Amino acid sequence: MGAVVSHASAAAPPPPPPGYAPTFADAASSAPPPLTPPGTGKDAAAVAEEEEEEGEKVDYMNLPCPVPYEDLQREAMMALRIDTFEGFRFDFIKGITPFFSLCHSVSMVSMELPSQGADVIKVPTSNYEFGANYLHPKMVLMGRVSHDGRLSARTKWDPSENLCVKINAQLTSEPHYSQGMLHCDYKGKDFRTQLQLGNGAYYGGNYIQSVTKNLSLGTEFFWIGQHRKSGVGFAARYDTKKMVATGQIATTGVVSLSYVQKVSEKVSLASDFMYNPMAKDVTASFGYDYMLRQCRLRGKIDTNGVVSALLEEHMAPGVNFNLSAEVDHWKKDYKFGFGMSIGE
Amino acid sequence: MGSAASAAAPPPPPPAQPQMAAPSYGLGLAGILPSKPEGDDKKEVEKVDYLNLPCPVPFEEIQREALMSLKPELFEGLRFDFTKGLNQKFSLSHSVFMGSLEVPSQSSETIKVPTAHYEFGANFLDPKLILVGRVMTDGRLNARVKCDLTDDLTLKINAQLTHEPHYSQGMFNFDYKGTDYRAQFQIGNNAFYGANYMQSVTPNLSMGTEIFWLGHQRKSGIGFASRYNTDKMVGTLQVASTGIVALSYVQKVSEKVSLASDFMYNHMSKDVTSSFGYDYMLRQCRLRGKIDSNGVVAAYLEERLNMGVNFLLSAELDHSKKNYKFGFGMTIGE
Repeated sequence: MGAVVSHASAAAPPPPPPGYAPTFADAASSAPPPLTPPGTGKDAAAVAEEEEEEGEKVDYMNLPCPVPYEDLQREAMMALRIDTFEGFRFDFIKGITPFFSLCHSVSMVSMELPSQGADVIKVPTSNYEFGANYLHPKMVLMGRVSHDGRLSARTKWDPSENLCVKINAQLTSEPHYSQGMLHCDYKGKDFRTQLQLGNGAYYGGNYIQSVTKNLSLGTEFFWIGQHRKSGVGFAARYDTKKMVATGQIATTGVVSLSYVQKVSEKVSLASDFMYNPMAKDVTASFGYDYMLRQCRLRGKIDTNGVVSALLEEHMAPGVNFNLSAEVDHWKKDYKFGFGMSIGE
Repeated sequence: MGSAASAAAPPPPPPAQPQMAAPSYGLGLAGILPSKPEGDDKKEVEKVDYLNLPCPVPFEEIQREALMSLKPELFEGLRFDFTKGLNQKFSLSHSVFMGSLEVPSQSSETIKVPTAHYEFGANFLDPKLILVGRVMTDGRLNARVKCDLTDDLTLKINAQLTHEPHYSQGMFNFDYKGTDYRAQFQIGNNAFYGANYMQSVTPNLSMGTEIFWLGHQRKSGIGFASRYNTDKMVGTLQVASTGIVALSYVQKVSEKVSLASDFMYNHMSKDVTSSFGYDYMLRQCRLRGKIDSNGVVAAYLEERLNMGVNFLLSAELDHSKKNYKFGFGMTIGE
């Protein structure tokens, strides 16, 4: 969320293709996670903690590698950024070889139209998206094309064990709306650093360092040539086996705090606070995440009066049934949807 | 219905007609095709006893099987119904609906606005007297009364009251059931008078006629209907002087599966619609699907998760108008 927080407040690109982000989040939460190099992050921290608990002496030469800067609020994102939808969604993923799979995604939803009055107006739309994924430990290629002419492409390539190159592109048929971004990540012994290059003359970088075995601190900066904007941000993350707390502040004025408590293997609770003085927007939310054998239930309540929930039920291996609900009591807006997802 | 035809065997007791009249309020699936399999092996005696014909289905229910299969209650959004029985005969119900309703728009696009309402209801169900009332948060009240004054005479009252002036309606129906005929007389507000008569002609065929008069708009009309049903199928035809012709056909393929099709022609508005649907009544669920000549495909699934707990899924896709409606819901209580 680190880089996205500063970038999002500076420019307003069109929303990404709807079927894209959830697939990526699902891929990130199931094995193998393509963006996070395996064997780092919380797992290594937990193992290192157990080994050193008897010792009580912190070995500053042997700190674990921290979580990547954009994944700082990863646990809070997974619990609180619930991908609710309205209408019907159907996803079908077909694996052709162990590395290569194709996916078809149909969604028929009611989209909200911006309206001048206080009323919410929705218009039914439909969308078909075709995608192809190539998932190899060293190279990940993902592409999606939708019937209205939008193409998304993501590439992740590991030239060496410590270096990782990622390319993100969203091309549309409308002029001046396409975006592309290149990331170069270097993973050191107890630090990580990243350089970003994007269209619209966007340059960014971030650096995160493990300070103790639980605490890691980081910083980021960005510069947007097109709008002549730049910013600096700081972030901190404190995590133990049972909880994760993060804080982020940027010169764009955004302050973001989050806290996740892992109550048991199956249950975790998360809360989140965001303050944007430019837009005078303050939001706090509280949510839960129940990961049971047959289903995964996430619920969230917001200070904007929004209550939402998402249920993913595993009806058979590879067949998931989703129910989504979002009730915005303030604006009197209700969104309910159901869907089916076939294939791993 | 055909088993009473034979003169060789002693006539079985007449089928229990009051239970067939109760499902007109939509309670239970018991009203589907009262089939008497023993009628099939009476083929050797082909003589029809015209003095002993069965009582026909009431006039407003001749298309009952087709309507149950082809017109499920599709909705968009979330529906939650909770029915709590306080007594053997008395029950209360709470019903919440949150979803999008279409608003009429001048352009060809459909526009939907999210709405929500809550409905509270009370039902009193007695063999001789049925009282059903519903009140909604937007101030509408529905009331239905069905009272069996004698064995053959039934009084039904329907009322819908709203707080908007001139939108309330009420209707009184008097039904008389004879040995092989039924007659009904209706009085409604806005000076509505109607009557209909239905007669069994053969064990399988019944024909009827209706007449109505609307005082406020000085309209009147007359219509004819006929219904042919056997154990396996039901075919109906209805013609009215308002220019409506309606035909329907339902085939009961097996105990669990029935197929239905329907044709409607409206001469005044030059509107023709034909639809085809199926109805699978399985142990754990009931699935109804339908496709229309207007390019509408709809499906409705009721799944029984537990005793008294039903999960509903409803979908309607209108390809010609590009309008999609999806909903899910839960019904708790019998």
